[in-house]
Amino acid sequence: MGDQDNARNGVVITFFSTASAVGKTLIACNMASEIARNATVCLVDLDLQFGDVANYLQLQDEYTIADVERDMNVQGDSCEVAPFLTLYEHGQVAFYCLTSPKDVAEAYNIKTKTVQQIIRQLQSMFDYIIIDTTSMFSELNLAMLDMSTIVNFLGIVDFIPTIKNMKIGTDTLKRLGYDTQKIRLVLNRSDSKTNIGMDDVERVLGQPFYHILPNDFRAASQSIQDGVPLVLSNGSTRLAASLRELVDLYTDGRMGSRHQEHQDAAASHSLLGRLFGR
Amino acid sequence: MAYRIMLVENDRLLLEQIANVISSTDGFELVARYQTVSDALGQGSVFHPNIIMLDVDHPRAFAAIGTFHANYPETVIICMGEEWQADRATHCVRSGASGYIVRPSTTQELKESVETYAKSGMEFASETMAFFSAKGKSGKSTLIANLALALGRRSGEQVGIIDADLQFGDMTVFFSLEPSMTIYEAVRDIKYLSPVTLKPYFTPVNDNVHVLCGTRTPNLIDRISIEGFESLLEMAQSLFRYVLIDIPPGFNPTSIAAVEKAKSTYVVTMLNGAYEIQHAQRALEVMNSLDNHEERVHTIFTRVQSTDIAARHQLETELGYPVAAMIPNEYLTVSKAANDGRMAVDIEPDSPLTRSVNKLAETIMGKKHIRWAKP
Repeated sequence: MGDQDNARNGVVITFFSTASAVGKTLIACNMASEIARNATVCLVDLDLQFGDVANYLQLQDEYTIADVERDMNVQGDSCEVAPFLTLYEHGQVAFYCLTSPKDVAEAYNIKTKTVQQIIRQLQSMFDYIIIDTTSMFSELNLAMLDMSTIVNFLGIVDFIPTIKNMKIGTDTLKRLGYDTQKIRLVLNRSDSKTNIGMDDVERVLGQPFYHILPNDFRAASQSIQDGVPLVLSNGSTRLAASLRELVDLYTDGRMGSRHQEHQDAAASHSLLGRLFGR
Repeated sequence: MAYRIMLVENDRLLLEQIANVISSTDGFELVARYQTVSDALGQGSVFHPNIIMLDVDHPRAFAAIGTFHANYPETVIICMGEEWQADRATHCVRSGASGYIVRPSTTQELKESVETYAKSGMEFASETMAFFSAKGKSGKSTLIANLALALGRRSGEQVGIIDADLQFGDMTVFFSLEPSMTIYEAVRDIKYLSPVTLKPYFTPVNDNVHVLCGTRTPNLIDRISIEGFESLLEMAQSLFRYVLIDIPPGFNPTSIAAVEKAKSTYVVTMLNGAYEIQHAQRALEVMNSLDNHEERVHTIFTRVQSTDIAARHQLETELGYPVAAMIPNEYLTVSKAANDGRMAVDIEPDSPLTRSVNKLAETIMGKKHIRWAKP
């Protein structure tokens, strides 16, 4: 550790959208779970006011990002994020979460600079950082888009106002000048009955969907009730399979070697334990 | 009807200018003009004016509005001043005037000002309502659009929608509007506007309902000052009997300003089987710090499966707060309507959804207290 030559910064995958209720949190939780089979992962909830990561995973989080903010105000750069993370475990899979504040006032006062500092620190600790956001172009979200390796721009096809907002979103991202490689348009098929065709949406947005998640509302909502991500509880559903395909697209061949490395570390999260000196 | 105007203006030069504007405007006749209040009060009635335009920059005139109203009970009094001042306008209307305007300098301004207030009078008991949601997809924009139509139709009054969901406002789509002006221009120009000159920034949907549309691109959010937005909300109150404000989800400078300025706030939540009730509770906790929050803050649930009393009771118990309205789930009607640029209350006038929106409109019109029987 600390050897600059060997220092490597983890991959940052952000879930973003300009339409609401498109399944950002659900997909982020599943992706964190799936990647965590083979790599170290931290899931960060940046829906600061009304975040659902702790709800969906039924975490008993003692600390939140608000505690990091407070500590950083006192300690400055020497503040360590690790003690404020909450571990999620299911079977052999484990990953860490930095949850959103319990209090709206705390959330309101979190500075973008603090979050940037947190993500940078997490990048030196984890292979993957998964970020859940809110559906708007805020200062914080723009800063996160800048820091991300990959942005999943999530879409849904239900009714015209949603399509309009997605169009505004993709146009704005283009204007902001992000590499097309970086922004991945992912369609989450909802159960909404609609007569709007997917091809029409692709034409309006001026690009094809990079990946399409199948409609499995029942499986998705059951996983919210149970507090266990779908890929962990029932890996055989179509949605779980499709989520895994998406993970493969992002982790590519790298996953294999990491997997070996990980296996060598014996127990699934002893690596994390070592990192945090526990 | 021809307007027979009596002009009372203390400034000699302005008297001349405005008299010229009146004389050159079609449908307007200048029947008398005075520089002093005493002359106007003593002699004007000989000419049977139906409109009095009164310069209230002069303190004597400002104090005499009530006397004019008593002496000319059938005549519309329109007060004039150098610039728009909301508190002054309120004082004028309370003293018996129909409106307060910035002195007109063109025939068009004169026409618009007089026609606006001679017909319906200036609002000073306006109901402003902010519609808040913790997260997006609450059904609030759909509700606002349908509720505005219902309020306009049932009350016959003027209804304004302000689309302040600055990045992703949906009102243009809901009503298929092609606005020439938006909230961005209105806030930018607000310092130079009065209610009469603000009105053209709104795009009409029908005779009763007018929409101030949202920004065209999301980056304009940075150029909408909160101070300007607050002045806009104040000014809109003198134009419309009901003002409905659509705000971005969550707590942000825009939504906080709207909630603070509005007479009432509706926390709108769509039940989707996740943690929506907890989010509504968290929002309500924050709003506890508002003065009279129990009277000002109400809750509405949309896309509800069952709207009967038992369901309401259960929801209220879980929430720990009264529920003002439950809007039933009619996803297909609503989305089809929105796709076609029409409204559910129009295409399905007898549906449970329309009935529940109408009921909410009645409650707002009757200003009945929404009481909560503690379970």
